[in-house]
Amino acid sequence: MSALYQSLVNGTMMGAMYGLTALGLTLIFGVMKVVNFAHGSLLMVGMFAAYWLLKITGMHPFLALLIVPPLLFVFGYYLQDLVIKPVFKSERGVREPLTVIIVTTGVWYVLDNLALMLFGAEYRTVRTAISGTSFSMGEVIVSWPKFAGFVVSMLTAVGLWLFMLKTRTGKALRATSMDREAANLMGIDQYKIYNVAFGLGTAIAGVAGCVIIPFYYVYPSVGVVFDIRAFIIVVLGGLGSIPGAILGGVVIGIIESTFAQFMTSTWTEAIIYGIFLLILFFKPSGFFGNKQDW
Amino acid sequence: MTRKQLDRTLLCVGAAVAFGLPQLIDSPTYLQIIILLFFYAYLTSAWNLVGGFAGVLPMGHAVFVGIGAYTSTVLFLQYNISPWIGMLAGGVVAAAIGVIIGKPTLKMRGAYFALCTIAFAEGLRVMIENIDMLGPFKLNGPRGLLIPLKGDSLAAFQFMHKEPYYYIILIMLCLVLAFTWFISRSKIGYYLGAGGEEPEAAESLGVNVANYKLLAMAMSCFLTALAGTFYAQLMLYFYPKGLLGLDLSFEIAFIALIGGRGTIAGPVIGALALRPLNEFTRIYLSDQLPGLHLVIFGLILILVMLFQPKGLTAPLSRIYERLAQAITTPGGEKS
Repeated sequence: MSALYQSLVNGTMMGAMYGLTALGLTLIFGVMKVVNFAHGSLLMVGMFAAYWLLKITGMHPFLALLIVPPLLFVFGYYLQDLVIKPVFKSERGVREPLTVIIVTTGVWYVLDNLALMLFGAEYRTVRTAISGTSFSMGEVIVSWPKFAGFVVSMLTAVGLWLFMLKTRTGKALRATSMDREAANLMGIDQYKIYNVAFGLGTAIAGVAGCVIIPFYYVYPSVGVVFDIRAFIIVVLGGLGSIPGAILGGVVIGIIESTFAQFMTSTWTEAIIYGIFLLILFFKPSGFFGNKQDW
Repeated sequence: MTRKQLDRTLLCVGAAVAFGLPQLIDSPTYLQIIILLFFYAYLTSAWNLVGGFAGVLPMGHAVFVGIGAYTSTVLFLQYNISPWIGMLAGGVVAAAIGVIIGKPTLKMRGAYFALCTIAFAEGLRVMIENIDMLGPFKLNGPRGLLIPLKGDSLAAFQFMHKEPYYYIILIMLCLVLAFTWFISRSKIGYYLGAGGEEPEAAESLGVNVANYKLLAMAMSCFLTALAGTFYAQLMLYFYPKGLLGLDLSFEIAFIALIGGRGTIAGPVIGALALRPLNEFTRIYLSDQLPGLHLVIFGLILILVMLFQPKGLTAPLSRIYERLAQAITTPGGEKS
């Protein structure tokens, strides 16, 4: 029984972090109706930023949470403003611009391979203040970095939820996601809102980078590992839904860790894809999806 | 010279150059590069039936290349069935799987369809990597399948020189181009075009959009699988990660988008633009700067989408129109 509890706890914690990686993706899709294929690469940028910061200064990883996400917000804001916006404008009339998807794929190739050129292909880890520490809760052993990642993921999701609900910018984001034209008529500059949405999504990838780096390694194509999983999570939770992303992440995390008790990890991967396809066949809008988006 | 004559002459010159090329090129390396160029142009043309005409974005088409390769190779290795027959069998299997997967997904909007195809392709790749024996069929898991050498033999689809492969893929490419040309001018093509842009409007006019999209999917998967058999016979070795991986799927979509989605010449122009660039940057740059060739690849993709969102075919055909006008009008023979 304790093995089951252990895998449930581990799965929930890892799943929340998967949810965190999917949160930015779902935010960007919700507002822009664009699947950002570069999201894994943005996560990789966040992980490398956290890696170098912690490596050079040796600061506590929680402190990095105050530095890396704002940097990534600026990065995402201008990436959207300079690269993606022009394409978006040329496909104005289309609800789901496919050309933009391709541009984000181009961004993915450029970022991943720039990292390969700059840092090389080796796997890098950094020892932080919380790396490798753990505490026990009854019979279950909980690793500190994963627990911290779980708490930060939850706080980020709740924070984003409140931001969307309470602030003026959040309301503008929601209005644009519901109806572009109407929001525009209400005096919302939609392109600025897209910049903000993309910046926020990237900043969340930065948060994810900071919480993952204490227990995971970073290398140029690390984003792909999380990327495909994040795609599955957002569809599972419903594209555009914030609670859906976290719930989808936890579901995937638990499936992964409990099935790993019975079979090799490559088979669990196949099972996740299988479950994903079944959900698409029978309930394509996911847990909290917006019906008109699929 | 009239416009029609000009078009025909150019087409004939193009065909003559394409069919005469192996006489001019001695190096098997260069010939191999051109064979792969045609292979990609072929795959992209097949992709275009769904990705271009039906207006959705399949991002996992490599899976059908893999189905074609596995079907014909398993039949050849275990039952000694000629790969030519296996090729058709693979096409039928791929079309059936395409219909099964297309039925629920083709109704969805763009982003969902793209994500579904990725998940399906990756899921099948992971499955094949985990399976050594599928019932009576030996798939060999992640190690892939190796086709033993049988010497020059048309029945075994094996040749010691590159030329036969060159002509086979060239003829396949010509046929698929003729087929897309035919489809684009047929009722099916118009229905698909209408359904891709405005599914609701097309449906209100009585077009069964879903059925036509499914038909396009089946044709596209069938044709894609044929190329899978060709690839298996050309390389005589393949493994799941290389053949079914996302890299191939994405490259097919990139070639289509850079060339021009939904045009007949687009796949060829896209392959002509990207493949040599890809090969040469990989050969000459990847030693000093690993990854530089993919940075260039990504940058070109972004730039083309920024400045020519309809692909390279649009400006090229404008230039051609202008040239054609300059050539045909001074001739004075107005028809």
